Amino acid sequence: MKITAGNGLYGLPAGLLLFAVFAVLCLPAAAAQECRFCHDEPLYRVDFNRSIHAGNGCTSCHTGITDIEKHRDGKEKPAPVNCGICHEKIAKEYLNNFHYIQEDFRCSDCHRNIHAIQKEPGKNIKLAIIEKCTECHGNADYTASGHGEAILKGNHDAADCSDCHGLHSTQVFHTSLEQYPTEAREFYTQKCKRCHADSVMMARNNLSDRMVAYYEGTYHGKVQELGYPAPVAGCGDCHTKHNILPKEDPRSSIHPANLEANCGRCHSGFHPRFLSYQSHPDYTDRQKYPALYATFLFMGGLLVGTLAFFWFHTILWWRKVYWEHHRMEKEGIVPPSVVATGEGLQQVERFSVKYRIMHVLLVLSFFTLVLTGFPLKYAGTEWAQTVIRLWGGAHISGLFHRGAALVLIVGMAYVAWESLKFLFPRGTGKQGWLGRLLGPDSLFPNLKDLQDLKGMFRWFFNRGEAPKFDRWTYWEKFDFLAVFWGMFAIGGSGILLWKPEWSSWLVPGWVLNIAALVHSEEALLAALFIFTIHFFNTHFIPNKFPMDRLIFTGTYRLEELKEQRPLEYERLVAEGRLEGMKREHPSIPLKLISATFGLGSLLLGLFLTVLILWSLLFA
Amino acid sequence: MNFVSQDTLTRLVMPAALMLTLALAACGKPAEAPPPWKVIDAPTLRALMASDKDLLVINTMSEIECLDHRIPGSQCMACEEIEKDITLLPPDKNRVMVFYCESAGCYRSCRAAGAAVKAGYTQVHVLDRGMPAWKQAGYAMETVERIPRGSIPSVRASALKQMMAERKDLLLVDLRSEQSYREGHIEGAVNKPLYRLSRDYAAIPLDRTLVLLDDRGFRTFLAGSYLEMKGYQVIRLFGGMQAWQEMTAAK
Repeated sequence: MKITAGNGLYGLPAGLLLFAVFAVLCLPAAAAQECRFCHDEPLYRVDFNRSIHAGNGCTSCHTGITDIEKHRDGKEKPAPVNCGICHEKIAKEYLNNFHYIQEDFRCSDCHRNIHAIQKEPGKNIKLAIIEKCTECHGNADYTASGHGEAILKGNHDAADCSDCHGLHSTQVFHTSLEQYPTEAREFYTQKCKRCHADSVMMARNNLSDRMVAYYEGTYHGKVQELGYPAPVAGCGDCHTKHNILPKEDPRSSIHPANLEANCGRCHSGFHPRFLSYQSHPDYTDRQKYPALYATFLFMGGLLVGTLAFFWFHTILWWRKVYWEHHRMEKEGIVPPSVVATGEGLQQVERFSVKYRIMHVLLVLSFFTLVLTGFPLKYAGTEWAQTVIRLWGGAHISGLFHRGAALVLIVGMAYVAWESLKFLFPRGTGKQGWLGRLLGPDSLFPNLKDLQDLKGMFRWFFNRGEAPKFDRWTYWEKFDFLAVFWGMFAIGGSGILLWKPEWSSWLVPGWVLNIAALVHSEEALLAALFIFTIHFFNTHFIPNKFPMDRLIFTGTYRLEELKEQRPLEYERLVAEGRLEGMKREHPSIPLKLISATFGLGSLLLGLFLTVLILWSLLFA
Repeated sequence: MNFVSQDTLTRLVMPAALMLTLALAACGKPAEAPPPWKVIDAPTLRALMASDKDLLVINTMSEIECLDHRIPGSQCMACEEIEKDITLLPPDKNRVMVFYCESAGCYRSCRAAGAAVKAGYTQVHVLDRGMPAWKQAGYAMETVERIPRGSIPSVRASALKQMMAERKDLLLVDLRSEQSYREGHIEGAVNKPLYRLSRDYAAIPLDRTLVLLDDRGFRTFLAGSYLEMKGYQVIRLFGGMQAWQEMTAAK
């Protein structure tokens, strides 16, 4: 009895619990049974039970009914169906869907047979999507395209509507909504890249997965990649949106007969030979692009050769000077220029105001060019995007690039004029120009430079004294002439690329591909040369570290002149010119400005070198 | 030459100053005059709706569109009707009212708000970026009479031109306002402004295939679904009259 009573006491809550579990498990089913009492169409009685949603009761979706009798009497209506209760991720994506935003589509407007929807294994989803979208959207362009044709033939890789436009995340990029042209271009270009850079997918479809990389190597691709609104061609601008066909097809936008109109949608005023420009060339392909390949080899060789030689030179030089310093420090020897007294303290002019200003202008324009050009060269990197944002976008950055280029071109023209004046001074005419060209005051290399170079290497290896220099050392002459060569290579190619349509009246389009390659590689050479070799030779060498302010203040001690340029000193004394070159000690403001500008430039240059090398090696 | 003078220092600094000036000049933009109404965003509207029971939220789309989907508790008043008859608005000139429409450009809500300001209403607001912003914020919508979405095929302007030459059973129905229609329309098109379509549709013959035209192609889909529900056979012009004009301009 006691046991029974006990059982009864515990039995009640246990029974209630059991009932509750039973009720929760069976309520949907029970509710469905009750609903079908009135809603007795075959759709709900038969098709729904076979559908993918069959496990749910009516009230799982049609919520808000608490009392079936009230509902029967029309006093209680179900709440709007919210598929997002279960399909949470899709519902979230759908908030930005064009069909929802603009036409207020709900799930069942596309999934019309929602009560009978079934899983159909083996069904061609891509085909089903095309069929669904084309119920409303005209499909003439798409079905004629390479993608459409491939899908109809059973290819499961080709893009259906949703691969580009998204399925539940269809973007608000309507052709007549001209608010988002930049966003749309970026969005769809990314969509194209996703498949066309997929090496496995491209390989099984006999397509090259490198096209994306080649495109990203061109001006269009780089500005596009920077993500900043300068109007450049994304994939769809040339290949069109839906009518994507191989170039052999006369209907294709890239068929030779259609190219003029195709490029002409953005470019105007070009000669027909402009069209030979390659939009995504592979410059390592010797067969297809021999000229580009040769340029690539030449520029690569020039870059590697020049840097390798001078870096080698620099390392040896540094070693020699450092070891020498160590020896002198140990033996308590101080260089005379450091402990100069009396006349040795006298400041002597090396650079007149004119040349100092020119150097400042050169520094400013060079940095502007590097800071606007290299972000484009390494468009895919984070730092490039930041720098371009600081300039105010790719367009403004481009304007600064051209402005700085003009400063440099004017400077170069002025130097050319000065050189002519040096060679042919007033009154003497042509007489003696060769002597002046190869003389000690000239920046043109001569036989002594070759001897000095040999002498330096002997000195590096402790095989002799350091050579005695005259006014210009061979590395200074190289600095000077490298700028001249650089101006022809970078400046020439830059001018061609400045207004490519006009350039096409001079050269065919494929030359612009070469110009772009030369411009980019020569810029890399110039930046690395200045930021490592020039910086070291002139500023970082141990006896001048961290900087030589001479180019900014213009003067140095007489003792330094004697030490660094003994032949020039002897010449100046012999010709009685030394007296005329003596100057006052530079003022504190000038020294401060020089140090700030000079050190700032050096630090910026080193920082850029790190970014460039990092991009070169890892990006 | 003398040692560096003050003058030279200036010359050294000048290039830097010049570049800085150029940079600043490139950044400057002319300011626009502010509109005579207050622009509020979707969260502000929602907070306002919760706190102010007298708030008047006005949907400036057509009745068809407004009854199909609107911000909960809105009134349906098409902007053309407000412009024609300002007495549709309540007499209290200090009533707080918010106008919105269905495009991010909020052209229609601004027209209606302009009419209200002109009539002396003092608390006029416009919902920034309209109903799209409300939806993108994830806020609920309200439906009074939902129109079943049809499969309304859209045709491009060039295809329509060809169809017009080949088929005789087409009837071009221009859903734009009377004024836009007067300013220019496709030859043979009849004008049935969308804001009065729910009252006027019965006059459209049932034995023709209707080609719906609007400004930019956004509004013909729902109008088409409405007419299909009423028994019409409908297609629509993709991109609206803008696309048509672009096509004719290109030729």
